[in-house]
Amino acid sequence: MPQTSSSTRAPLVHALLAVLLGVGFAAPLAAAPVPLPPLNQPPTSEHHVGKVIWVDLVTPDLAASKRFYAGLFQWTYSEIHSRSTDYALAMLNGHPVCGIVQRTPPAGERRQPAWLTFIAATDVDATQQRVLQHGGQVLFAPHAYPQRGRQAVFTDPQGAVFAVLASSSGDPPDILALPGEWIWSSLIARDPGGDAAFYQSLFGYEVFESPNGDGSEHLILSTEDYARASVNGLPEDHHHPHWLNFVRVLDTVQMSTTVTQLGGRVLVEPRLDRHGGRVAVVADPSGAPFGLLEWPESESKEGMQ
Amino acid sequence: MKRWRAGALGLAVATLLQACVAGGGGYYEGGGGAEVNYGADFYEPYGYEYGGWGPGYWVGPPRRGDHRPERGNDHGGGGAPAYRPAAPSRAMPSLPSGQRRR
Repeated sequence: MPQTSSSTRAPLVHALLAVLLGVGFAAPLAAAPVPLPPLNQPPTSEHHVGKVIWVDLVTPDLAASKRFYAGLFQWTYSEIHSRSTDYALAMLNGHPVCGIVQRTPPAGERRQPAWLTFIAATDVDATQQRVLQHGGQVLFAPHAYPQRGRQAVFTDPQGAVFAVLASSSGDPPDILALPGEWIWSSLIARDPGGDAAFYQSLFGYEVFESPNGDGSEHLILSTEDYARASVNGLPEDHHHPHWLNFVRVLDTVQMSTTVTQLGGRVLVEPRLDRHGGRVAVVADPSGAPFGLLEWPESESKEGMQ
Repeated sequence: MKRWRAGALGLAVATLLQACVAGGGGYYEGGGGAEVNYGADFYEPYGYEYGGWGPGYWVGPPRRGDHRPERGNDHGGGGAPAYRPAAPSRAMPSLPSGQRRR
């Protein structure tokens, strides 16, 4: 057996060490977070715990989604491309509205593109503990994105997916959404009372019972004397608890027609709701559902009549 | 000299392992590399069903001052609700009405 002398081996060992050290030290430097944009520019110190402050769409086709929503709401975009993520920040009149992220669906699986609801918190890690204590699950543990803040994704005990965000640039102000901006969110749950208790434990909501015309349970979640979301029961024979977010529009009938012209679908035809305005549920061309909601400039009862 | 090599090798391996952990995250990871990915990019189970919304199935926000039912502890099927109801003195909330400052 030929023996390798130590003088021959030494350069090889040194080279191996150099490679390992180089890779080892370079990898953490490359582990920078995706540069997600801030919610507010310039930053503010406003925080509204329990408010739905952001939504992100995950789609298999970023370009097609951008076209659809630009045609529907006149959103414009600013794009962010990183090693792992293609993300478009949607804006209306220069203000950030939401985000759209592209992902290839898992191979061999039929999956549903969806809008993800982000609820404001001041301490995402403490919220995670309460999620686990009250029967929820962690889908994505808290991670920090310097401009955006710290965020995590959970499911509630009934399976609805939601995200929590401690925005590092402050929360959007409590003002009336303009047409084309997100205005309202509904949680469609198997057990509205049970889910209201869960979210109350996370965000300290006041919970108001609100009479529904069909006798079903309809709850309003509120913080700071503002309605933040409703909780509704799943209609019979429906099995998928989820959050549904609504964009303010001036005319749901006209917008529903535009949705179909742009390649989307109408899931719930325009109909009168409790406030006297119409709502509709539609899906974009990828199948992601969202709501359309009419709301008057004046919130007085006379304003809707 | 051998001790130095062993120490350096250990440091390199430990650093490499730490880097792998730092780059993780995401229940469906579509991206790659060591970047801390977006993480919230999920697809829901296929087949949202809509419909079955009867005429009285309302999802929208209330108007400020809308009537609050006096249901007390009668929570649908009876018994106390799982949540703490807002105090009876609290008026029904609504959406913000202020305008964006220009």
